[in-house]
Amino acid sequence: MSTYQSLSSEKLTVVLDIGSAFTRFGFTTDFAPRYIIRSEVRCKKTNKLRKICDYDSADDLYDMLVELIHIIYFKYALISPKDRPIVIVESLLCPTLFRETLAKVLFLQYEVSSILVLPSHLVALASLANDTGLVVDVGYKEAVVIPVCHGLPILQAWQALPLGGEHIHSHLKSLLSSSNTGIQNLPENFLEDIKVRCCFVTKSSRVEQLEGGKPEYAPPPDVVYPYAGTESILVTGKVREKTFEILYEEDNDHLCLSTMILDAILKVNMDLRQKLAENLVLIGGTVMTLGFKARLKEELQKQLNNDRYKVLNIHEFKFHTLPCKENYAAWLGGAIYGATEFLSMKAISKDFYLREKHLPDWINLKDINNTVSRTL
Amino acid sequence: MSYITGPEIVKYACTCGLLKPLPELYFCRHCSQIRCSFCLCHAVDSFFCGKCSENIPSAEARHKKNRCANCVICPSCQQELSTRVASKGPINPDDAKSAVKKSYYLSCHFCHWTSRDVGIPDQPSATGCWPERENVHINRLQEVLDVYQDIMLSQQQQKENSKKKRGKFVSYTDRTGVTASALRRRIGIPDIPHAKIKKPKPLDPAIAKSEVEELPEDIFTEPLKLMEITTIDQRLMQPESQPLTVDKLFPIHKQLTIKRSLRCRTCEHNVCKPEYNPTSVKFKIQLFAYYYIPEIRFVTVEPLRAGQTSELIIKFTNPTQHQTTITIFDLDLEEQEKYVEEQKLFDIIDNFEQAMSLEEKQQLSLPSLVMSSGSQPSSMYSLQSRQPSVIVKPRKINQAVNCNVAIPESTFILPPRDDAAEYDDSSDVHNIEDDPKLVKWRKSNKAFIKLAVTPAADLKIDDEVVCGFTMQHIYTNVIPAIVENMPHKYDHKVRVFFRLGKIVGSE
Ligand SMILES: Nc1ncnc2c1ncn2[C@@H]1O[C@H](COP(=O)(O)OP(=O)(O)OP(=O)(O)O)[C@@H](O)[C@H]1O
Ligand SMILES: [Mg+2]
Ligand SMILES: [Zn+2]
Ligand SMILES: [Zn+2]
Ligand SMILES: [Zn+2]
Ligand SMILES: [Zn+2]
Repeated sequence: MSTYQSLSSEKLTVVLDIGSAFTRFGFTTDFAPRYIIRSEVRCKKTNKLRKICDYDSADDLYDMLVELIHIIYFKYALISPKDRPIVIVESLLCPTLFRETLAKVLFLQYEVSSILVLPSHLVALASLANDTGLVVDVGYKEAVVIPVCHGLPILQAWQALPLGGEHIHSHLKSLLSSSNTGIQNLPENFLEDIKVRCCFVTKSSRVEQLEGGKPEYAPPPDVVYPYAGTESILVTGKVREKTFEILYEEDNDHLCLSTMILDAILKVNMDLRQKLAENLVLIGGTVMTLGFKARLKEELQKQLNNDRYKVLNIHEFKFHTLPCKENYAAWLGGAIYGATEFLSMKAISKDFYLREKHLPDWINLKDINNTVSRTL
Repeated sequence: MSYITGPEIVKYACTCGLLKPLPELYFCRHCSQIRCSFCLCHAVDSFFCGKCSENIPSAEARHKKNRCANCVICPSCQQELSTRVASKGPINPDDAKSAVKKSYYLSCHFCHWTSRDVGIPDQPSATGCWPERENVHINRLQEVLDVYQDIMLSQQQQKENSKKKRGKFVSYTDRTGVTASALRRRIGIPDIPHAKIKKPKPLDPAIAKSEVEELPEDIFTEPLKLMEITTIDQRLMQPESQPLTVDKLFPIHKQLTIKRSLRCRTCEHNVCKPEYNPTSVKFKIQLFAYYYIPEIRFVTVEPLRAGQTSELIIKFTNPTQHQTTITIFDLDLEEQEKYVEEQKLFDIIDNFEQAMSLEEKQQLSLPSLVMSSGSQPSSMYSLQSRQPSVIVKPRKINQAVNCNVAIPESTFILPPRDDAAEYDDSSDVHNIEDDPKLVKWRKSNKAFIKLAVTPAADLKIDDEVVCGFTMQHIYTNVIPAIVENMPHKYDHKVRVFFRLGKIVGSE
């Protein structure tokens, strides 16, 4: 029994990263989340699964978060939340409604003693023991780029586009329905599995052939994907190769994944630019796709010829390899910070919350945007 | 069974304002209030494995990362794996008596996955120490963590030193003249630009490379072997390794389950506490509303037509050992709304007092609600049946009713539950004088009640009809400790809602 004494339950602190698709849960001092579950709860009325991010009001969100946090503590963490601290990793762009509602749920419904809120882009650097990097998070709802210089997120340089799993799934859906007549309304989880098992990010040298439908185009082998028991769906080689192309299709403003990254660099001070380009950190589930990094490197290099980016005077991009899987890199940062005295120093206490009735707003972008640009 | 699993026709309103079927509600005898899982405080009671029913002490559960040491689940389909014997024949083939050397492997009954598929050698013992995957980055990560812990510790000490000197702190909400340093503090990162210089132990930061993982060339030519590639769920089941191919799926130790106890947030008493033994389905404390609040079941209703009165028959059952009298009142949702507002008001007064005691009177303008509520603040103070400040606030009942219930003029009695009477028809004589307009029939502790319901005139065919009323019953308190300062018997009210069905047509 005494061997366990050092692991007394008092020291267990939950670390939570609630993404729009997946929630990562684990404890501080662990180096990987215990579970990565879908950010979904079962709706009491319809008995269907609902995504947390599909909330339609603050009250609705409150109820869904109550449910999610309950599952996390009583199905997975197996500790009582009451009177314990909790570490929350959240995006710097997290809507105020979401973070305030989460704080309300944690303090009022679950009576946690304190909450340490950590910005995901910043803490994602922790596992690298680095304090400067251009952090690119490509998740489910969006891709968000924020430069971090000497431990300070340069908020005025942030870039975000709705490029992520959700967009890719809907693209895959339309590609599939055009090659499989009569197949519609494929459930999203099914599309996601086709995506992760069959699709990849192709090389830029093949794009022209792929898009132009050139005769010399030799597609990768087709895949017959089992569907609904006895039926099957044809995932053509072209679909496998084309699904992720939307990441690099420029929108009306000529924006895509590669331009976002360069635009972010463009917005920081000249003397920091090369350093950021040499410290690219890719996080989020979507960057784990086969071929993602190789292609991003090609695309970045290609964009440098663009007049808009000539001023950058960047010649080379360098990428970090994380000591973890990219889809929990931000969580891991939270687990590291949460295992230090930082927790006792910076966590927002219940007393503070009950008095102020809201979280300190470290991310009021409007304010910070103005002040940061003045101070830097 | 349909009562448990089927559509929820009869729902009771919890004190917190949520509507639930009676079996999902609790009754705190100390507060004499209905509670539910939403407004109660949950706590972990004991750990056990759902497969082997082994009880696991909490320290061990933490140590084993909340997983059973013996039971494993299939990494492919997440069902429980069973251990199979693979006998390798006698150790010494010449000696017929020598023991057969047994070895074991794991196999899934559902998807036929086996531990041999992924190259795990058969184990000599049945509870085999199945190999676990090690995190290859563990040493580096431990170093990183150590350094961070050191940095933060010195940070904290520094902060404490400077606090003694300055005794002043920068407010979070102070937004004027934010410097990089103030911003750092606001974002919550150390206030030293180059924290790493001060680090007690040198650690090389990771180095980025220009080479990246390339797309395998054969992806364009080799047919995809779909069955060898893992699904997203299989990957995420093993967060640390997230294997891409099925040959890297390792068996997973089964997650433990817990028994929970539930506590009333107002009085801190338990309303539900399970027995420790995992195989026992009994409770040490079980204050289910089902044992205290008369149960109402829907029996039948005449076809529902918009604007026309139909006869509704419902059955009341008294679950207690004490006779009770039932009175039916109007739903009166306004009163509930007022109650919700009142609770909010307490909150505001709490805040106000706190704020006053913090001597920030100048900035604080009185919340308008206190002034305009009609009731004087002073009387609110006297109302203070003070509750702990952190409590789930009740909410407005979110259920519209579109059908009028004619409130009966008389009340009726429900005799106590008598288990013996259930088996004895002859003894079923009671000298209860019932209003025949109200009571259709009764037997032992049950009564069938007739009510006249009138769906709203503007309802259309197929519209769902919902009605409700407030049931008052006499609750007999039997906890000795409480009897002194509380009445022995008193009226308890609960709002009940019925989903009667759909409008069938106007005529
Ligand atoms: N191991 C994996 N391999 C391939 N793709 C993955 C993997 N894990 C996650 N993904 C994909 O990444 C996406 C989710 O990424 P992530 O978990 O970073 O998003 P999130 O944090 O929930 O969302 P957001 O950051 O937008 O709020 C999903 O579309 C999923 O299909
Ligand atoms: Mg995310
Ligand atoms: Zn309740
Ligand atoms: Zn077990
Ligand atoms: Zn299986
Ligand atoms: Zn109570």
